[in-house]
Amino acid sequence: MTERNWHTHRDAKAARLNGASALLDGKFAKTEDVVKVLEALIKPGDKVVLEGDNQKQASFLSEALAKVDADKVHDLHMIMSSISRPEHLDIFDLGIATKMDFSYAGPQSTRVSQMIADKTMQVGDIHTYLELFGRLFIDLIPNVVLVAADKVDREGNLYTGFNTEETPTIVEAAAFHDGIVIVQANEIVDKVPRVDIPAGWVDVVIPADKPYQLEPLFTRDPQAISELQILMGMMAIRGIYEKHNVQTLNHGVGFNTSAIELLLPTYGEQLGLKGKICRNWELNPTPTLIPAIESGWVDSIHSFGGEVGMEKYIAARPDVFFVGKDGTMRSNRALGQVAGQYACDMFVGSTLQIDQWGNSSTVTHGRLSGFGGAPNMGSNPTGRRHSTAAWQSLKPADDPLAKGQKLVVQMVETFGSNKKPVFVDHLDAEEVRKEAKLANVPIMIYSEDTTHIVTEEGIAYLYKTDSMEERKAAIEAIAGVTPVGLRSNPEEVKKLRDKGIIALPEDLGVRRQDAKRSLLAAQTMDDLVEWSHGLYNPPAKFRSWS
Amino acid sequence: MMKNSFVELNGRQRAFSLLDENTGREIVGPEFDFISPHLEPQNIVPESDDGVIVVKGKLDGKTAVIISIEGSFQGGGIGEVSGAKIVAALEKTLEDNKNGIKEYPVIVLDTGGVRLQEANYGLLSISEIQNAVIAIKEYVPVIGIVPGRVGSFGGMSITSAILSYLITTPKARIALNGPEVIEQEAGVREFDSSDKNLIWDTLGTRQRVETGIADEVVDDDVSAIKDAINNAIEQNKDAHRTDQADFYLSLLDEIDFAQPLNTKQYRDLYSKNKATKHVVNEATASQQAKTKSRGRLWFEKLTGIENAESNYPTVLHAEKDGKEYIAIVPDENNRFPRVRKGEVGLQEGFLVAEIVNKIVDEDKDKKEKRPLILVVDVPSQAYGYKEELIGIHISLASAAAAYAKARQAGHPVIAFIPGDAVSGGFLAHGLQSNRIIALADDSITIQAMSKASAARITQRTIAELEEATKHVPAMAYDIHNYEKLGALYKLVQDVSSWDANENAVEEIKTVIDEAIESTENQPTDLHFRYETPIAVESGRKATNKMRKTVFEQWNQ
Amino acid sequence: MEKLNFTYQNSEAVKKFVHVGVVASGDLEILLYPADETTIEIVTGSDGFKEVWKNVLDRFFTRYPLKGKFVIHDFGATPGVVNLRLTQAMEALNDEK
Repeated sequence: MTERNWHTHRDAKAARLNGASALLDGKFAKTEDVVKVLEALIKPGDKVVLEGDNQKQASFLSEALAKVDADKVHDLHMIMSSISRPEHLDIFDLGIATKMDFSYAGPQSTRVSQMIADKTMQVGDIHTYLELFGRLFIDLIPNVVLVAADKVDREGNLYTGFNTEETPTIVEAAAFHDGIVIVQANEIVDKVPRVDIPAGWVDVVIPADKPYQLEPLFTRDPQAISELQILMGMMAIRGIYEKHNVQTLNHGVGFNTSAIELLLPTYGEQLGLKGKICRNWELNPTPTLIPAIESGWVDSIHSFGGEVGMEKYIAARPDVFFVGKDGTMRSNRALGQVAGQYACDMFVGSTLQIDQWGNSSTVTHGRLSGFGGAPNMGSNPTGRRHSTAAWQSLKPADDPLAKGQKLVVQMVETFGSNKKPVFVDHLDAEEVRKEAKLANVPIMIYSEDTTHIVTEEGIAYLYKTDSMEERKAAIEAIAGVTPVGLRSNPEEVKKLRDKGIIALPEDLGVRRQDAKRSLLAAQTMDDLVEWSHGLYNPPAKFRSWS
Repeated sequence: MMKNSFVELNGRQRAFSLLDENTGREIVGPEFDFISPHLEPQNIVPESDDGVIVVKGKLDGKTAVIISIEGSFQGGGIGEVSGAKIVAALEKTLEDNKNGIKEYPVIVLDTGGVRLQEANYGLLSISEIQNAVIAIKEYVPVIGIVPGRVGSFGGMSITSAILSYLITTPKARIALNGPEVIEQEAGVREFDSSDKNLIWDTLGTRQRVETGIADEVVDDDVSAIKDAINNAIEQNKDAHRTDQADFYLSLLDEIDFAQPLNTKQYRDLYSKNKATKHVVNEATASQQAKTKSRGRLWFEKLTGIENAESNYPTVLHAEKDGKEYIAIVPDENNRFPRVRKGEVGLQEGFLVAEIVNKIVDEDKDKKEKRPLILVVDVPSQAYGYKEELIGIHISLASAAAAYAKARQAGHPVIAFIPGDAVSGGFLAHGLQSNRIIALADDSITIQAMSKASAARITQRTIAELEEATKHVPAMAYDIHNYEKLGALYKLVQDVSSWDANENAVEEIKTVIDEAIESTENQPTDLHFRYETPIAVESGRKATNKMRKTVFEQWNQ
Repeated sequence: MEKLNFTYQNSEAVKKFVHVGVVASGDLEILLYPADETTIEIVTGSDGFKEVWKNVLDRFFTRYPLKGKFVIHDFGATPGVVNLRLTQAMEALNDEK
């Protein structure tokens, strides 16, 4: 009987690297050889992680992957947290890849839908970030990972800095299971400012022709915040943040939460809440939080990723942000997701549709967008054991074994800007499941996890309802003149108000006429620059002053 | 840190915010629901004040008239009704000042210029606004505020250059042509409309104040703006922006238009520049054939000068039979690439101003003022990056102001249109005339913007645009529809643009003489346009109604 | 663009003219005049929303049965914004100024 070979992966990796040795000088390959390097190192059917994070894209490597000879490299199984660039999908049209497991497809969601319908792309599953990261170590262990670094030294140590995001997680999955780690580098240096990923984990480094693509995804121009968003923000601060004594939280991306961030130093201050609420955050470094930070509202912020333009500001505020000895922030999406899910008392987000039962989704007809981190943040982690006042405030009174619950808040205007109702009897996601042949309806946040819904009409305290009928009635009461909301009647609304299950602005002491843009601590991008003492440097596309 | 932002306010709030508490009274307010009659036929929702708010009140105790353009309604574009409201308010202000009642007009400019959905009305209105401003400046300063969001563009930027003093915030941009229009007309390499840094560094107010296009940048704060206005009024400020032709012509002599020019280089050139005297010689005959155009053809036939030339190839003037003829003509080899098709560029406006100001000066003490005959064939203003960097709107404003002053001084100013009459070119060279004569020729284009640009800016297709011209004559591009607005003194039916035969020339000369005669003992303003039978019957019906309403409410 | 007209039988007479809003993108203006009958004349840039308008108005008038003539120029406001402006018009009626 022959002894089983226990290191076939290692042998295979060595063989591949050996096959590419003519293209390599140590770990380093030439920029112009990138396509040849990929053709030598990637084999048909490989599981390949192509780094497409939320903000950062390994764009040099993705462009190169779209240029490989499909006769040599084909049938790849792609694993991507974010499908962001056209070539992420071009590789399916070209026959280089056939299967995709992903989390989020914001900018490419329409094309993803189309490719699934055309059977050009086979979808493994749509994940939350944590699931996808977890599976990299369980049943989606990659053969090759393609990632991006800011700086790489001569030994191959990586500096990923501000936008470290999920690079270490991806690299770890390959490096310790004989996958091949290929890195595109913005710059080769003698010494990196700090080592974010050690050289020992890295196999190949290729200097990129231009810096990786980086998008300011979390920047919201205060100019575009509407009076209705301010009204909803005021209601949320009074009826949720203050009421539940929320200390630790995560804000989703959007103008609703930006409005809240800009109301803290004005409206929040008027209410005497400074130092009493929202002190510890898991949050991308959103510029709209600058006035609150400068006014002393914020003790700490840990971030999933960076944000273009915030570099200098963050470096100057190490008490608040997570900043290395070198003076630049380090982000970490995997740990941020864990922190956001388990260590935060509240998630506040938004969505495109909420159904009559309170399930919400951003998947609509023709747009299979996925969800990114929202389902992690926006769920009640039943494994949680530590207690806080906010968490306890949602504990049912009548159950001796009851525990607290995470606040999961959805803020929506009853109609979207396209004048389509946000509240619907059935989510488009139900149809999309059938069309895309998904196992589950792509719901972003389930009704059972949703504790509050805020609209311009009022707040529904869903956690207080004791039946699905009552939950539906509470949603109807704040759903305005959407088909769902039209089922509500004044008597029912009164009953729910009396029980404290819904609150209208007047119940919260919020006056509609106070919901003015002048209440925002910053009304324009240059106001934010001024608040930051000139440290925030907004991307040019946001410029609207001389 | 928290300021009381002026930019955040809407047009009406801005007007009231500048006046002392409880002193403001709105003239033709929203309750009159005096909407534009031209929008609904094009499926566009109107506004009750048509986007212009006029409020009379006290500014630090002084009587002031605030005219505020609402930038968020149709981009602050000037149409017939909104334009007439501004003109009527300015004329009453002028009348009061003439009668010894001091009244200070303040114009809040938040405007894209001509409202493209009412194109030719917008051009007419803007020329009438400019006329009124020039007249009022004899009595009191006319202060402009460009607070921002929209900024000041198009024909209203030409107006901004005519105002006595221009106050801005850092949130504003000032230009003749917006970057999108230049990109559309001259290509992305001329001006990349997606490059926000380039746009703000070039058109933003910080650069503008350093290069004489605006006078002051103040914080976006109501009281800071109010203080700046007050200060300007008390110090009787006047930037004399349209009296700088020699300065700019000297500056232009220094610039190589074949080479790139950035904002810093221009600031340096501007600060070092010294004005030297420039004179445009009277045109003389030559042997050398010139770039053909309808304008040149008629200039030469009316003056009898063959292959006319002067020391500047694009601007011709000559006296004939006691009348001064002026034409802007194409020059296919011009050193300014953007004027080779006869466009009114940086040099042309200033040169026309030189010519006209000289004549006005020479005739200052004469009882009989020489008539000025403008031969109009201007396909547009020049679209170019350097044109905007330097401030082409000042050039156009200088020409317009010179013609307006000449007319107000008693010179008959007669426009004769054998060619195109488009946009800023027409505002500079044609629309300040108290009589307009045109040929009924199908080759003539008379409009505010090319179809391609107008479609891009109003987010319509060219087909939709052409559909709109069927319902609204002011949207059309031909002289026959233009006649329906009532602004023409005469549309000459039997003469073609390209056929200046002897009989035709004699006929035109006769019509010009009649036009000159018709100005005798008549007001030197632009009222003729409201009073023609076509204007009264249909063309300016809304204008006349608005004027009447403003007049009735002025002293209530 | 679409023109819509509604009438209501309301009880609380409007005593003076009020005006709120601007015809800006996603916004609207409301002119409210004293009148013997409650009429609503709407010019809207978004076609096909008659039912939604009726629902918004039904709700608003159930709560505030203002008797007067409403003229509305709408440039694509959402029902939420329409309701906010209607409420502001109602509040302006009560302003002393």
